[in-house]
Amino acid sequence: MKTPVWRYVEDLLAGRRPRRFRPDEDDAAQVRAAILLRAAEDPGEPSAEFVASLHDRLAAEMDGEKPANRRRFVKVTTAAAAAVAVGAGVDHVITDAVTAAAPKDQNLVPDDGEWRPVVASADLPDGSVRPFDLGAVAGFLRRDGAEVSAVSAVCTHLGCRLRLDAPERKLNCPCHRTSFNVDGSLATHELPVAPPPLPHVLARESNGHVEVFVPPSA
Amino acid sequence: MVGSVGERQRAEPRGLHLVGEEVYADWEAVYRDNIGRIHRLMYAKVGNRPDAEDLTTEVFLTALRPLRISASVGEVRSYLLATARTVLADYWRRTLGREITTLDEELGMSTPEPAPTDPTAPARAAAILAELPERYRRILELRFLGACSIKEAAAEMGVSIGNAKVLQHRALRQAATVAEGMLS
Repeated sequence: MKTPVWRYVEDLLAGRRPRRFRPDEDDAAQVRAAILLRAAEDPGEPSAEFVASLHDRLAAEMDGEKPANRRRFVKVTTAAAAAVAVGAGVDHVITDAVTAAAPKDQNLVPDDGEWRPVVASADLPDGSVRPFDLGAVAGFLRRDGAEVSAVSAVCTHLGCRLRLDAPERKLNCPCHRTSFNVDGSLATHELPVAPPPLPHVLARESNGHVEVFVPPSA
Repeated sequence: MVGSVGERQRAEPRGLHLVGEEVYADWEAVYRDNIGRIHRLMYAKVGNRPDAEDLTTEVFLTALRPLRISASVGEVRSYLLATARTVLADYWRRTLGREITTLDEELGMSTPEPAPTDPTAPARAAAILAELPERYRRILELRFLGACSIKEAAAEMGVSIGNAKVLQHRALRQAATVAEGMLS
């Protein structure tokens, strides 16, 4: 009776973190039923200790923000980039939005920036995509052969942070089910109006590192 | 003061900002208002506290930083829920390689401010148990609702521990079949 699914259910019943295994259809249905029965017994209120400790962790995280530094960004050159900055609200402030015409090349270029290494060249193999977050700019790096490029990680609809689905090579917005291809073009959306493609962030390779062009650190 | 926001927002086309919507004062207000609902939701979907706490942590760590504090209460809740949905999907992909549970129902496209918890869980569980033969129902009640160990459950039912295990195994399989049938 010591099957993996039995152990999984016993772990649930004991309130332990269940051990992983590779369930078949039948196992999966049992796990699902066990979870439902557990949820019926316990509404799952968080413990006071957990609420307090996560609060402290988030407080440390949020204090790590440097708003003054972030506000030095951004000169944007297109309407799409303007949408990015509007969506990002307090973190990303527009100083100059030039044109509302449909843009061909959207680049997110700070007027006063520097090249910052993000990852070792060797860690960005051909065809791979990697997220990066430098505070003022978050995005996804990508390599196609010799070429490295980067797009913003902020959805052009309402500014939610996109998440990488590496196997599908998609950047998914958690808010309204919009998804972009890793080159920044729109893949799917369920919105009344198609959101613009993702702005590009300047990227290059230098001294064995992939770098992006971002506002200088304070 | 916060309760009516979702109601008003529901009637509006998605993506439009309403004037005069409630907003949170700061991230701590966001946290206080949402920590309970996100944790309850995660617990209902994974069935154990260690994972529910990790996933709740991940939701807030992911969502809080890029959050626009100017967003309305309804938008913030939707955003947290949407983040929770992806976090949960990642969790299943990582652990069992199958999406065992999802937040899709809670996050229907037509309801930007969905129910924060799953109040139907006890009702669904009761409906499933009601479909089972008496002894199957009894063993599951003892183990899942009565917090009995397998030994206690066996004693309660007057069977050997080995028999109780077999009974539980079969009962859960049948409960799973009944549950799948209810979904489809």
